[in-house]
Amino acid sequence: MPSKRHAASTTSAPAASTPTSTPKSLSSGPATLKTNASAAEIAQHVWQQYLTTTPQRTLLLDAFMFFLVLVGGLQFLYCILAGNYPFNAFLSGFSAAVGQFVLTASLRMQTSGSGPGSSKPSSKGKNARFAGEDEEQTAGISHERAFADYIFGSLILHFFCINFIN
Amino acid sequence: MHLWQATVPFCLLASAALPAAAASAWGFTDATVAVQSKGAGVNSGLKEELSASKPLSKPISLATVDTLRVTLTTQEGSSPKRPHQAFLLLKDDQTGLDISYPFTVKESGKSRVELTQKNLPIQFLSLSDPVDARVVIGSLGTSEAYDKSAFKLSIARNPDEAVPTIEPARYGKLPEIHHIFRDDPSSPAVIITLAFVGLVGAALPLLAGLWLFLGTNVNHLSTAFKSSPLPHAVFLASLVSFEGVFFLYYTTWNLFQTLPAAAAVGAVAFVSGSRALGEVQSRRLASLR
Amino acid sequence: MRWCLALLLCCLLAAVNALSSSGSRLLVVQEDSTEKSLYSKLWADLESRGYDLTFESPKSDKLALFEHGERVYDHLLILPPKAKGLGPSLTPKHILDFLQKDGNILLALSGKSATSSAISSLLIELDIHLSTDRSAVAVDHFNYDTISAAEKHDVLLLQRPGSLRPDVKAFFDATPPLLAPILRAPVTAYGYNPKEEIPSAEDIQATGSQLSLVSALQARNSARFTVLGSAEALEDQWFSASVKAPGGKKTSTVNQEFAKQLTAWTFKETGVLKVGKIQHHLATEHAERNPKIYRVKNETVFEIEVSEYAYDKYVPFEVPAGDELQLEFTMLSPFHRLALQPVRRTETSTVYGAQFVTPDQHGIFSFRVNYKRPFLTNIEEKHEVTVRHFAHDEYTRSWAISGGWVWIAGLWSVIGGFLAFVVVWLYSAPSSAANAIKKTQ
Repeated sequence: MPSKRHAASTTSAPAASTPTSTPKSLSSGPATLKTNASAAEIAQHVWQQYLTTTPQRTLLLDAFMFFLVLVGGLQFLYCILAGNYPFNAFLSGFSAAVGQFVLTASLRMQTSGSGPGSSKPSSKGKNARFAGEDEEQTAGISHERAFADYIFGSLILHFFCINFIN
Repeated sequence: MHLWQATVPFCLLASAALPAAAASAWGFTDATVAVQSKGAGVNSGLKEELSASKPLSKPISLATVDTLRVTLTTQEGSSPKRPHQAFLLLKDDQTGLDISYPFTVKESGKSRVELTQKNLPIQFLSLSDPVDARVVIGSLGTSEAYDKSAFKLSIARNPDEAVPTIEPARYGKLPEIHHIFRDDPSSPAVIITLAFVGLVGAALPLLAGLWLFLGTNVNHLSTAFKSSPLPHAVFLASLVSFEGVFFLYYTTWNLFQTLPAAAAVGAVAFVSGSRALGEVQSRRLASLR
Repeated sequence: MRWCLALLLCCLLAAVNALSSSGSRLLVVQEDSTEKSLYSKLWADLESRGYDLTFESPKSDKLALFEHGERVYDHLLILPPKAKGLGPSLTPKHILDFLQKDGNILLALSGKSATSSAISSLLIELDIHLSTDRSAVAVDHFNYDTISAAEKHDVLLLQRPGSLRPDVKAFFDATPPLLAPILRAPVTAYGYNPKEEIPSAEDIQATGSQLSLVSALQARNSARFTVLGSAEALEDQWFSASVKAPGGKKTSTVNQEFAKQLTAWTFKETGVLKVGKIQHHLATEHAERNPKIYRVKNETVFEIEVSEYAYDKYVPFEVPAGDELQLEFTMLSPFHRLALQPVRRTETSTVYGAQFVTPDQHGIFSFRVNYKRPFLTNIEEKHEVTVRHFAHDEYTRSWAISGGWVWIAGLWSVIGGFLAFVVVWLYSAPSSAANAIKKTQ
């Protein structure tokens, strides 16, 4: 999530400066904050900035992560309220949610760095999946490679969780 | 355990034989029983006359610090005489305990015996009911021996002091032991479980709603299937069948059925996945995503 | 032909051994061979019960309890010697060795002559104490025979003994750990030295029921040793004498019957237990017999077959009322100690059984039956088994436990969400709003 924070901070920290300071400043962006803004105003401003500046694909990803947090939280709450028997089932179910969250977060880190707005396709070759490895030094691995890794990791996670839940 | 072995000729009887009156009989006269506390005066304490014909009505109490003294003159018929055996016999009918204390007898028949709680075997100390104190006088010859209850002796103990006990090792049945099992873990009330199952289940439609709100669509499905239909179809199918294999592993399969199936599906997914993702990348590079 | 002969020999041996459960070779140690006739009824009794009697004098050179380190005799009956000791071949050590090698001993003492120091030192080894005054006898002025001992009161008349404790089998009625008194003196009896006129009070060491006239010792190897306070009680004279208690009626004695019971017990004709088949298995039908391994919380059945020897044959052993044959399931300490109940009876044995659930603790356990009771030979059985934990596929499946449903639902909804996410990620076109944003840029 550093990219989100980065996006948020670049717009909110130099509150007094001109809104053009952000590279992705949008016409529909919110009004700049005043110096004496209250905490609630700051929070609302950050939220607005997040909604307006985050690419839609990343928002979908964030929605999935929110879903995972919700499912994991419910399972944890149930464990606290109703006891942890059978404990292996709790560990398995809860760690499935947590592990999926971690994997999704990794995918987000690897794909949101170059959103559609700022994407600068550097690869010219047709077989981008393999050509993408050339650009790893500077721009990280390609989105598709990251997604393939994500699927591979998720399948292994699911196998272990199913094995452990008995 | 000590066993005192006696040597004597004996005969065993099939039935009990009750003694009856004989020509001359042993007895005693001038008998007193006295209980004296330690440190008290010589003539203080309880003193009772004993009769040879009937026992004292009240039990005599012997405390820890007391000394019991019985004096009497033994008689054969009506003349004082020294017998062969003159015992003070303590007997408890309930437990079958018995012990004898010999009198110190003079030639004139004057006899005395002294007794404190220290002289008693510790089995007697734990008795709650008074024990029967009997005078036993007997001798060789034909005169009938004397054995009658003289008084009841109750052994008074300080209730604060623990009664000393000995537990002799004896073979016998031992108390039963039943292993106490750990409690089986219990599931919470089904209603709570079902409520949470409902909540967890509701998270999926919530995700779907959130995605719709964010403008999710599957518009590229047709594009993707137009450009490379087979890889996309096979890739999606392989992912679903992967989870299907896991589901079968969860319900019925064992590991050795699962692993070959997973390996086969995995190979298909790898090949088809690289094609499909290549198509996805071409879309991205065309700025369609 | 040889086979037949061998078989025949076996049969003969079996026939000879049929009476005592541990052999029939009985050595009688008697100093004076002229005294043999005093006990003629006893010898006739013993011979009729199948014993091979050998009479030896303690002074004899031929007398030896062992040959090549093995017992020459199965049983030993020692009548009181007049000499100081029992001779070089019957030292206390030899006698104890004989006991260690499962030999049974009946030792008779007599009030007529002083007890030899060898015998008192032997008895002290067994925790049986004789009066320090070696010629002391017991008298009782209440239960003596008025016909034969009107003056001396040293012929005691006693009731047949009952059972030692309510839960102990009575072998000596009309039918300590190791040491048990068979016959106690009456409460009014006491011991004294007849050479002194009048006993002084300090001389009296034991009185009443502390005096034991007949005591029995059963060693840990179940070898038996009986001390009989009176050799005279075995004499023909008292086997069928008429006696009269002071003021009582004339009755006849039952010494012969008592002598039979006493010798029968000492020489292992009665009170001998034998363990037959031992079985343990799971409490399911057609379960494997005596498996080496059990699982925790298995319902298990244990059965043991016990016979008791009664004079000439094995009969079903019945536990006396108030007593129990107990099974322990032990690892270091017993986890279960259960009463074994009679399950069924065969002609010669009773099968005792118990059913229990193995503890929820894995480890090396053993089925133990440790039955040691006065007057009965010891049963000590130990059978080791392993108790293992649940195997990984023996636990309850997760869907069968209602408490786990939430987490199962969580896992599968994560998997479902993942599949949906894959589809969305692969095929979601940028929404119109996003397109609009892009275009404006």
